[in-house]
Amino acid sequence: MALLSLGRKEENCHCSGNAGEITEGLPKVVLVGSPNVGKSVVFGYLTGKYVTVSNYPGTTVEVTRGKGRLGDKEFEIIDTPGMYSLLPITEEERVARSILLDENPAIVVQVADAKNIERMLHLTFQLMEAEAPVFLDLNLMDEAGRLGMKIDTGLLEKELGIPVIATVATDGSGMEGFRENITGFKKKTGRAVKYDKAIESAAQRLQERLRGEYRISKRAIALLLLQDDPEIRSIVRERMKDDYASLEEIVEDTKKSYSQPLNYIITIARQREIMEIIKKVTTSSPAGTLDFRERLSRLMMHPLSGIPILLLIIYGFYEFVGVLGAQISVDFLEETVFGEYINPFVTGIVTSIIPWKVWQDLFVHQYGIITLGIRYAIAIILPVVTTFFIAFSIMEDSGYLPRLAMFIDRLFKKIGLNGRAVIPVVLGFGCDTMATIVTRTLETKRERIIATVLLSLAVPCSAQLGVILALLAGNFTALWIFVGVMAIVFLFTGFLAARIIPGERPLFFMEVPPLRWPKLSNVFTKTYTRVEWYFKEVLPLFILASILIWAGRLTGLFDLLTNALSYPAALIGLPKEAATAFLYGFFRRDFGAAGLYDLKTQGLLNGIPLVVSVVTIALFMPCIAQFSVTIKERGWKMALGMAAFIFPFAFFIGYMVNLVLNGLGVTL
Amino acid sequence: MKCSLCGLEFKERDGLSSCKGCAVSGSCSLIKCPNCGYEAPKEPGIIKFIRSLKRQKERKK
Repeated sequence: MALLSLGRKEENCHCSGNAGEITEGLPKVVLVGSPNVGKSVVFGYLTGKYVTVSNYPGTTVEVTRGKGRLGDKEFEIIDTPGMYSLLPITEEERVARSILLDENPAIVVQVADAKNIERMLHLTFQLMEAEAPVFLDLNLMDEAGRLGMKIDTGLLEKELGIPVIATVATDGSGMEGFRENITGFKKKTGRAVKYDKAIESAAQRLQERLRGEYRISKRAIALLLLQDDPEIRSIVRERMKDDYASLEEIVEDTKKSYSQPLNYIITIARQREIMEIIKKVTTSSPAGTLDFRERLSRLMMHPLSGIPILLLIIYGFYEFVGVLGAQISVDFLEETVFGEYINPFVTGIVTSIIPWKVWQDLFVHQYGIITLGIRYAIAIILPVVTTFFIAFSIMEDSGYLPRLAMFIDRLFKKIGLNGRAVIPVVLGFGCDTMATIVTRTLETKRERIIATVLLSLAVPCSAQLGVILALLAGNFTALWIFVGVMAIVFLFTGFLAARIIPGERPLFFMEVPPLRWPKLSNVFTKTYTRVEWYFKEVLPLFILASILIWAGRLTGLFDLLTNALSYPAALIGLPKEAATAFLYGFFRRDFGAAGLYDLKTQGLLNGIPLVVSVVTIALFMPCIAQFSVTIKERGWKMALGMAAFIFPFAFFIGYMVNLVLNGLGVTL
Repeated sequence: MKCSLCGLEFKERDGLSSCKGCAVSGSCSLIKCPNCGYEAPKEPGIIKFIRSLKRQKERKK
């Protein structure tokens, strides 16, 4: 839905209510900025009791308007929904942009979070590019100060070329200066980003061809066209009619000059400009003067201190998932509930109703839907993933996840990799299939290939990780051997891939929210949501896998495949029954790990073979879902190439682990 | 919703729109952050119901 008119006649574009009626005709002050930067507090400070909250026409997005007297002048103050960029991706951002650009504001105040100034300045530059009458309010200065950040606002004002004010809106600090800035506001042209030659030339040609009046600068329109903004394209197309084709041609020609999307090229150029300013205007206190939370935050992201912290977190996961989930809960559900009650009861009923063994096997006995599929899902996977998701939600709610992403990014840099590839890798610890789909959002082909290889090989998904932790429960040394081998494989593969696959190494930046104590209600909601989602998804697949195994056994295909897999299994010192678990693993990674769990409980897998099997299955081929997504995303050739590498590589690593541990005389 | 990875605040519908083009979109109950792609499951109805009750209670206050 196009919300923007860019100078067309406004229809139904003002809110009803008291404030709406009494503010008609008054100059407008529009507050813009990301969510949670204190816009509403600033709004409250500027307005009185006449405030209206109403949905922006045609949307469910709320916009707040009010009247404010500043000096001897009255203004209509508009609090817009959160926006991160002038190139919108959410409906809130589209509405905020529509207000900003359609309502002809006298003053645009960008309320920004001072501690995240680097991220905030992107919008500032976009507003300056649009030639909006903007001034920058650096709010939350107290929080920046607590983090040891000092910002020279005078120098920042000089660098940007627009007024800048520092405030703490919650306690009113700096708000007098804020008012004065509004009453004495004079529009200034801010600093402009100089983009690549090809972009600058395209923007220039687009500006020359653009016809008609726009409420934002033609340069901003040109840049938004280059970034494929659908709303701007449709508005310009509507105005330019047949002449629009020549603009499209310029955009398409410019795209051919780059291997990455133009949006990315433009963002990176802007980021470089911002970094240049940041270096000049900000200073950080030495770590010793920071509060505990900030010091811990920095330690978590540091390439060296981040490692023991990550290991500590893994250990916490191991204790929680391995002991509570796997030892106590699984033992009870598997041995007591299923072993003593459900399995004998269901087997009794099925064998008494169905006289044919072949049909009995579909439901009960060794590979039946109930005795295998449902038992795996409920007795093994459910308690393990529930405890795993509780631990994961605690980690997520505490704000550790973005720090883990930053930490991995820094590690990536050390081995010659970096960029947004870190996001799908972190996501892979949730679900590798989904993370493989996310690789399409990566900007360069190089990043996409490397991330897909790492996901297929060295990143176990949450369910698999949960069962692996359960398998290694009670054997502390085995856990660290597993973690060590996986880390070496991960770093070695990344290092190798970065050397083999040439290409640019793009910048990576993301906002890191403050660390906080996890809230019980959030942890409960996230865990419940994930367990429900997981169970809905996993149960039908486990049932399907049982049916496929049953059909495979009938046709002899199952025996053929397990026989074939038993050779490499034997080669790495595993019992031949482990081949069945590897075959399961191809259906779903966690299904395979659950197969190993079964072997362990039967006493067939212990000590070194247990570690070898866990390492091998974690590295083993991705599951069917991930493999099919890899084919879809990277093509048949690449997917088969990866499979051809991963399959023997997993067994090779298993073989090496077996050889080294036995050679060193390790007893587990 | 608030993305647990990048902190972007977005509505469920915006998250769903960034799932377009995915092979399993439609049958998948995950919601993708439109900024960084981090996925989280949709909130179950029961949780939404509890939240709405809480909001109602807060409004009455």
